[in-house]
Amino acid sequence: MKRNTDILIKNILASRGRIPHLETPVNKCDEEGGCGVTGFMASIPIAGRHIYEPSVQMHNRGNGKGGGIAAVGLSASDLNIPRDVLEDHYLLQVAYIDDTAIAQVEASHVLPHFDIYKSEKTPTIGDYTSIGLEVKPPEVWRYFVRVKPGVLDPFIRFNGLYEMDKRKAEDEFVFQNSIRLNQAYYASLGEKKAFVLSHARNVMILKVVGYAEQATQYYCLEDFRAHGWIAHQRYPTRGRLWHPGGAHPFSGMHEALVHNGDFANYHAVSEYLNQHNIFPQFLTDTETSVLLLDLYNRVFGYPLEYIIEALAPTTEYDFDRLSPEKQQVYRYIQSQHMNGSPDGPWFFIIARNDPYRDLLQLIGITDTAMLRPQVFALQERDEVQIGLVCSEKQAIDATLQSIAAEDKRFCPIADKYWNARGGSSTDGGAFTFTLKDAGKGDGSKTLITQNKFGETVTIPEGQRHFDPSLDISGSVEDPTYAKKVTAFFEAKDKTGLGQFCISEFAALGFKKIKGICHTVETLAAQNDDQKAMAIDLLTLLNDRAFPTGDKKRSSLLQILRDSLTRIFAASPAIGEKRNSRYAYIDRATREDLRAPMENETILVVNAKAFEPEGEDCDSRMINKAYRLCWKQYICYGYKGQRFTGCGFGADSDGVRFDVYDSSGDYMASGMDGMEIHVHGNAQDQLGQIMKRGKFVVHGDVGQTFMYGAKGGEVYILGNAAGRPLINATGKPRVVINGTCLDYLAESFMAGDPLNGGGFVIVNGIAFDEAGKVMDLPMPYPGSNLFSLASGGAIYLRDPDSKIVEEHLNGGMFAEVAEADWNLILPYLEENERLFGISIEKDLLTVNGKTLPFQKVYRKVMPKQK
Amino acid sequence: MNTTLNSLPETKPVRSRFRNTIGKYTIKRNSSCIACGKCAELCPHGVHIKPDHYSAPFRPVEHNCIGFACKDTDHYCIEHCPEEAMTLKENPLLETMGDYRWTPDMLLGHFAMAETGDLPHVDLEYSLGNSGGGFDKMRFKKPDPGLALDLADERMDTSIDLNKTGDGRPLKTISIPCYGGGMSYGSTALSVIVGRARAAKRLNSLTCTGEGGYPPEFLPYKDHVITQVATGLFGVREETIQNCPVMEFKYAQGAKPGLGGHLLGEKVTEAVAKMRETVVGRPLFSPFPFHSVYSVEDHKKHVDWMKEINHKVLCSVKVSTPTDVDMVAVGAYYAGAHIIHIDGSYGGTGAAPDIAKKNIAMPIEYAIPKVHRFLVEEGARDKITLIASGGIRNAMDVAKAIALGADGCVIGTADLVAVECVRCGNCESGRGCARGIATTDPELGYMIDEAYVEQRLVNMYMAWRKQWCRLLRSFGLTSIKELRGRSDLLVHLDYLDEEERKQYQNSPGYKMVL
Repeated sequence: MKRNTDILIKNILASRGRIPHLETPVNKCDEEGGCGVTGFMASIPIAGRHIYEPSVQMHNRGNGKGGGIAAVGLSASDLNIPRDVLEDHYLLQVAYIDDTAIAQVEASHVLPHFDIYKSEKTPTIGDYTSIGLEVKPPEVWRYFVRVKPGVLDPFIRFNGLYEMDKRKAEDEFVFQNSIRLNQAYYASLGEKKAFVLSHARNVMILKVVGYAEQATQYYCLEDFRAHGWIAHQRYPTRGRLWHPGGAHPFSGMHEALVHNGDFANYHAVSEYLNQHNIFPQFLTDTETSVLLLDLYNRVFGYPLEYIIEALAPTTEYDFDRLSPEKQQVYRYIQSQHMNGSPDGPWFFIIARNDPYRDLLQLIGITDTAMLRPQVFALQERDEVQIGLVCSEKQAIDATLQSIAAEDKRFCPIADKYWNARGGSSTDGGAFTFTLKDAGKGDGSKTLITQNKFGETVTIPEGQRHFDPSLDISGSVEDPTYAKKVTAFFEAKDKTGLGQFCISEFAALGFKKIKGICHTVETLAAQNDDQKAMAIDLLTLLNDRAFPTGDKKRSSLLQILRDSLTRIFAASPAIGEKRNSRYAYIDRATREDLRAPMENETILVVNAKAFEPEGEDCDSRMINKAYRLCWKQYICYGYKGQRFTGCGFGADSDGVRFDVYDSSGDYMASGMDGMEIHVHGNAQDQLGQIMKRGKFVVHGDVGQTFMYGAKGGEVYILGNAAGRPLINATGKPRVVINGTCLDYLAESFMAGDPLNGGGFVIVNGIAFDEAGKVMDLPMPYPGSNLFSLASGGAIYLRDPDSKIVEEHLNGGMFAEVAEADWNLILPYLEENERLFGISIEKDLLTVNGKTLPFQKVYRKVMPKQK
Repeated sequence: MNTTLNSLPETKPVRSRFRNTIGKYTIKRNSSCIACGKCAELCPHGVHIKPDHYSAPFRPVEHNCIGFACKDTDHYCIEHCPEEAMTLKENPLLETMGDYRWTPDMLLGHFAMAETGDLPHVDLEYSLGNSGGGFDKMRFKKPDPGLALDLADERMDTSIDLNKTGDGRPLKTISIPCYGGGMSYGSTALSVIVGRARAAKRLNSLTCTGEGGYPPEFLPYKDHVITQVATGLFGVREETIQNCPVMEFKYAQGAKPGLGGHLLGEKVTEAVAKMRETVVGRPLFSPFPFHSVYSVEDHKKHVDWMKEINHKVLCSVKVSTPTDVDMVAVGAYYAGAHIIHIDGSYGGTGAAPDIAKKNIAMPIEYAIPKVHRFLVEEGARDKITLIASGGIRNAMDVAKAIALGADGCVIGTADLVAVECVRCGNCESGRGCARGIATTDPELGYMIDEAYVEQRLVNMYMAWRKQWCRLLRSFGLTSIKELRGRSDLLVHLDYLDEEERKQYQNSPGYKMVL
């Protein structure tokens, strides 16, 4: 068996070696930066227009010089072909840069080899400039083909591929034919004429010199349905491009891959491919990535786990934590593939069809060092499931909002958001959304989410989504609850009201809750005090984890946030003067901005229509407002707008921000004195160089959180992604209640914490479905903690001493002394006040027993010189 | 074009800080001197000084002596001394000074320029080193004499524009085609960096903070300070970015691409640690690259961030010169940078490890035309300012860099030479700079004061300006902007035949192997 496999591999590679090819240049054709990537896979077909909004919102991750989309699990009816043709035939798509070459290409590379079920020009809109494109996209012809038996048999004979499944040999023929076509009409020519976009079964790729969503517009895919979509905004540094050959996605055989990042070892990877008779033709990182993947997948026949290991090897302490059996296999894989594995920052999203197992998959893989941003999300209910993976969380929210606006079975908020930890022993740095037949016999499909090791990611069962489409009676207030809530408002009993709602919400149905929200909204409209109380209440309910009974928390959040949005929007507009503390401003009314008058104190900013950066961004407008003496801001409606709270300069004491919805990168960076409260998850690069002030996030934070920070008091309810507090100096004081992916406080230089320096408290906890605090399996899963630090300290809640010397590189463990405890206690008390995480009942209680602080917390400090 | 006319600063003689100056020649007076004062009477260069009522002349001011060239004049002191008390020799110290790139002649020439504000009168070759390559092999062509202009220096334009994007941010013009490179608080004495800022103000140019933070002493000169945002983010706060007309991202240094900055523990004194908010005595490493920037799109976000912090600031992007530097440059342009600053491989002080300094990045004279041409092809050349640095030593290097395609240059080492750095290369030896420049030691730092640094730099750049004006005039140009990209005016000695080559001056002390 092994011998046969060996021979087969050799024969496949030898057959590829016979394809005429040019010497591959060692350099890439364009430098390209990271990019914006997004993708989703749903159990039901979704129209292409829903990839539109997330793509638009990631414009600033590309530069409009290359965009592409791919769809898998296509709708046969939208293509006007029978289902079995879709599944059995190859969808060969050729892009004609020079449309005079069509007849020539067809005569040389299509007609002689294939039985064509149908060939057609991919429909387009008439005028490409009408959607803002500057370069005319290539004419794309699609051919539904099978290889002629009279061609396939000699191919198998000539190349000695007898051992190969005949269908797989047919795949290989299609693959090689595309290489030949590209060599003849693309790679070898100065004036490029044509290239193959994709040739898989049930996968379609289209790309343009422009933004990704323009591909869906130009090729009329807005109503075209498919189970899975991925999109890519490219950022090539070369400015003048006249064809989209270098744009993503790229395809090997049955997949489409988009990539965010940049290989440092492009040459080495190309060299490795060359040694296997594979010669890149488009000269980008992405093409080599997909060729590697295809080599591992179709030629070597690796299972997905091994492919991921070959791309992103498990290293350091994570390797030690693998089982001995796994270590042995991985050691073999690494010794074979380490030199060909992509080095540098990369994040892949792959959409693929596995026709041999009848699966559709969406896969996200991060590099071992997690140098690119990535967020995964999942929404599950009985009828529909959707898995998403994006560069930014805001793009996930945008996708869900777009879909949920049309199909009420979806909720605009996902049930779960998370990051992958690259090359780790915990999740392997990769997640797969697999779509398979639901087994109901009606062709319906079900979505399964797994990590690299095949462990499934699940959402607690038995909880219901709120389906607004079934909400036919409008919101009817329950008079008893309305009365109770009103009583609390009249008594100005904020705390009591909060506790009341939290305790009641578990048992109440969605409709009653909507009713309560309605009462709250009505009360809020009556006067400013009640409005403030209403905002406080709904914000508390939005921020706190509490038991929700049989209701999905995501649906509950949707109701609460809708209510908040309505209350915010009801504030008097800045242009009109009414006697209120609140003044509302949005993009349309931003010219009316003026200094606060009379008792006005709070500027309510609807960020929705603002640009994410530049002259017309909300941050710029808020800066102007600050110069006009506005101090308090409620900002909502965010969809990734950046730089909230930046540009205030030194001594911004007295300024307070409350931020709702999908806030963007670089928030709170550079803050010096102000206070920012984020009511939800936040994104990447937050709190950079921050100097002073208070920053509270009721959720997770992303990459390089507080890079180069100098101070500030910071409370994070959830987790931080990779490299938080790297290179921080001065006296930052940070409480992270969850944990971090890796590289926490590398090169930390924050003096002596007992003497005015800085520290980070890591609690290593999470909330379970009932809103109860539970310990994470590892308080710190990464392999590098406090590396190369010369100052400051980490206070780690690690009652079982799970963290060992191997995690440290330059740091050492020390006893938490009385002085240390006195130092951190006030911060834990504030943490308790903000998040309701009790020091005594939650933090110091381990397995039901209350322990002294020395037994629960451990201190990591720099080794003395 | 005469906007710079009135803003040209005044030059003033500033004497050396050291009692014994270094000259190309040594001239000694032995004990047979009868103090007749004849030599002082004769010497027009101020080598011999005997004030009235003094019984004997001062020790000869050797660095003013023009040496054997004096022989043919009527004031050759050696021959006129009635007692034959004088001896003249070439200074043997020169054999131990400098290196191939910064020859002793070039060092002494710049000492003289910084002292007088004029070109040296001693026969010093200050425009060429003998590295055997690079700028030392390049010459400006012999101009057609018919082109020469008769125009006073005051009427010549040596200014360059830093914002060509037309993006609505302020325009910024500097009067000389150079500004100061980053030197951090902690790497050199405070009086040196503040002196540079003072000089920048008088020259209507800029200086750069380096990555060690923005000392409050810079505030009076804030319109002439570039705040550097480097990978360590030391001392970078919003207000430091708001107190500058230009900010600079330092992605890499040509002297050590792939490595971040490194400040030795020794140099992290209490003051330095306070500025950087770190621990006293612990070495400080800056990471490479920015942890938040791993791609062009991250970079754009980074630039956007700076633009939100300071709505008027111009952004400069400093990168080293890898083989794809042209792609990097055009990427920086599309991301909204105003200045792309490419740093070639010759730069760096003694603190950069040799192995990195000499082996990684591309020499700047290769990088400039590569980037220039690529930007021209992209149609972006006139929308971005290209600044070169890394081994730009003197006025002619600046002119050559501009002719190759740069708009201007960033100067680091020459500034230090102006304040009498002898390039001993021991900058990394803790605090112990023998010349009191690259030190944070309070005692050594007192060797130097701001006013001295300021005037020495003003003098040197005004001397450079004279050279630029002379060059421009000879080619019939009135503005240094017209010189940009005129590589047709340059020749490279290696590509000339023997006869042609003879027309051009050889590098000093360098035997050309044919």
